[in-house]
Amino acid sequence: MSRTGDGQGGGGAPPTRRRAPLSSVFETGRGARIYPYLLVLPAFVIVLGVVLYPVVAGIVASFQDLTLRTLSRGTVSFVGLRNFERMWADPVFWTALRNTGLWVGANVVAQMVLGLALALLLNQRVRGLGFFRAGILLPWVVPSVVAVLTWRWMYDPSVGIVNEMLVRTGLLQEYFPILGDVRTALWAVTVESIWKGTPFVMLLLLAALQMIPRSVTEAAQMDGARGWRMLVFIVLPQIRLAFAIAMILTLILTVNNFNAIWLMTAGGPLNSSEILFTLAYRYGFERMNLGLASAVATVLFVFLVVVTTVYLYLIRLRDEG
Amino acid sequence: MKAEAPTLRMPGARAWRTGLLYLGLFAAFLWAVFPFYWMVVTSLRPESELFARPPSLLPREITFEHYVGLLVGAGFWRNALNSLFLTVVVTGFSILVSLTAGYALARYRFRGSTVLPALMLYGQMFPAVLLLIPFFLQFRAFGWMDSLWALALVYLSYMLPLCVWLMRGFFAQVPFALEDAARMDGCTRWQAFWLVIVPMARPGIIAVATWSMIHAWNEFLFAATLISSAEKRTLPLGLSGLIGQHTTDWGMLMAGGVLTALPIVAVFFALQRHLVSGLGAGGVKG
Repeated sequence: MSRTGDGQGGGGAPPTRRRAPLSSVFETGRGARIYPYLLVLPAFVIVLGVVLYPVVAGIVASFQDLTLRTLSRGTVSFVGLRNFERMWADPVFWTALRNTGLWVGANVVAQMVLGLALALLLNQRVRGLGFFRAGILLPWVVPSVVAVLTWRWMYDPSVGIVNEMLVRTGLLQEYFPILGDVRTALWAVTVESIWKGTPFVMLLLLAALQMIPRSVTEAAQMDGARGWRMLVFIVLPQIRLAFAIAMILTLILTVNNFNAIWLMTAGGPLNSSEILFTLAYRYGFERMNLGLASAVATVLFVFLVVVTTVYLYLIRLRDEG
Repeated sequence: MKAEAPTLRMPGARAWRTGLLYLGLFAAFLWAVFPFYWMVVTSLRPESELFARPPSLLPREITFEHYVGLLVGAGFWRNALNSLFLTVVVTGFSILVSLTAGYALARYRFRGSTVLPALMLYGQMFPAVLLLIPFFLQFRAFGWMDSLWALALVYLSYMLPLCVWLMRGFFAQVPFALEDAARMDGCTRWQAFWLVIVPMARPGIIAVATWSMIHAWNEFLFAATLISSAEKRTLPLGLSGLIGQHTTDWGMLMAGGVLTALPIVAVFFALQRHLVSGLGAGGVKG
C-alpha cells in the first residue's frame, strides 16, 4: 500500500525514488535469469538428495557385501555380482518372481477393467450419484494398514465373515484357512488389493471422462453412434492417455504394495505369497543382509523402468503413427 | 437437436437402462463399503459375540468397551500425536515446495524445465524398498534412526515428485495475464506470485494437501523400519503392533482402525471435489 501512496502523494516535492521491495532483484538482469531456477531449487534438491541419491546408493549397495556385521566392523567391500549369484541360486527368488508376475498381472487387469466400468457408471447422470461415488471411493481413503487388518479379520479361519458367506452360498463345504493355504493365500491378498486400488483408477478415468468435450460426443451421437460403438470408437480413444497413466500408476503401486502382503500373510505360508518386494525386505531387515536385499530391489527397479519406458514409448508411437 | 431423433427403441428400454445402472452402482457400493461396515460393527461388539459362530451381520448388542480400553491408556494418544505431527509437517512443506516448483515449471522455459517433470514422474517409480536400504544406512550413520523429523524428510521426498507434477498441471491452467497485470501495477514477480497466482491455485493446493495428508497419515513401511522406540510409533505401527503372535484382540484392533480411519476419511470427504478436479488437471492433462 505504501508503494502506491509514494507515487501519488508526492505533491510538489521532487519525485522520490520509491523504496523497492527486496524481491525486485528478480525483475531484471541476472536476477530475472536465475529466478525460475531458485523457485525449482528446493524441490530439485530434495528430489536429488533424497530420491536420486538413495537410488544410486541402493544400486551400488547391490554390489557390496553389506551386512550388519561388515557394517559395524567397517569392512564393507565390493563383491562384484556375488549378491546376484546368490539371488539366482535361491529357489525362493524364483517363486517370488513368479508370484510377482501373477500378483501384478491380476491386479492391473482387474483394477483397470473394474475401474473403467465404475468410471463409466459414475459418469452417468442419475440421482444420488454423489452418495454412490463417496461410498465407492471409501476403500481408497481408508488407511491401508487399517484396510489390510480388517480383511485379515474377515478372512479369519474360525469366525471370519468371508468363510461364512462362502459356506452359505455353497462355494465351500466348511470353514477354510484362506490365508493359511498355499493355494489361496496370494489370491486372497489380491482380492483385498483390488478392492483397495480400484477406486483410484476409477478416479483418474472419471476425471478424464469428464473432460471429453460435449461437442465430440454430441457429434458422434448425430452420426448415430450408440452404446458399445460409442464407447469403443469415441470414448475410449479420448481417454487413452489417462488410461495409460492410470495403468502405469497401478503397476507401480502394485509392485510397491508391501502392506497388504506383509500384514496378511508375511509372504507365507511356505513363500506362496512372497513377492520380490517382500523378499527384499526379508533379506534386508530380517536376515540383515542389505547387499542381497539391494540386489533384489535393483532387479525390481530395472523391471519397473523397462516396463514403463517401453509402455510410454509404445503409446507415443501410436499417437504419432 | 431441438426435435428428438426418432428411435426404434422400446419405450421400456430407458427404464431398463436406469435400473441396470442403479443395480451396478448399488453392487459396487456394497462391495466397497462392506469391509468398512464390518470393521465398525466388530469394534462395537462385546467380546463374547466376536467369536460366536456363525458371525451375524448385525450386532445383537452394542458396547463401547473396546474404545474405552484403547483410549484409557496413553499408547494410542501418543501414536495419534506422532501421526499428527508427521502429517502437518509433511503437508506444510510439500505445499510450499511444490507450489514454487510447479509454478516455475509451468510458467518459465529454462534449462531443465522439460527434463525435470519427467524426472519427477520417474521419481514416483522407484520401488520403496530400494530407497529404504540407503535411508537405513544413512540414518544409521548420521544417528537419525528413530527420529520423527528424519521420517518426515523421507515422506517429503517420497511424495514431492507427484505433488510437483500435480501442481504444474494446475498452474498450466492459471491465466498468467493476471500476473502480468499485477506487475504493471507495480508488483514484483515474487509479490505477484503470492498475491495473485497462489490464491488462484487454491484447488491445486487442496489437491496436493489431501494427497500428502493421506500418505503421511497412512504410511507404514518406512515408519516400521526407521522407528524403533514405542513412544515414537505412528498410528499404523501401533495398530499392527496389536496383532499378537497367538491371539489378537480384534475388538480393540478394529476400534483403533475406526479411530485411525475417521480423521482422514472426514478430511477426504470434505475436500474430495477439489481432489477429483486436481487429479484431472494435473495427472491427466500433464
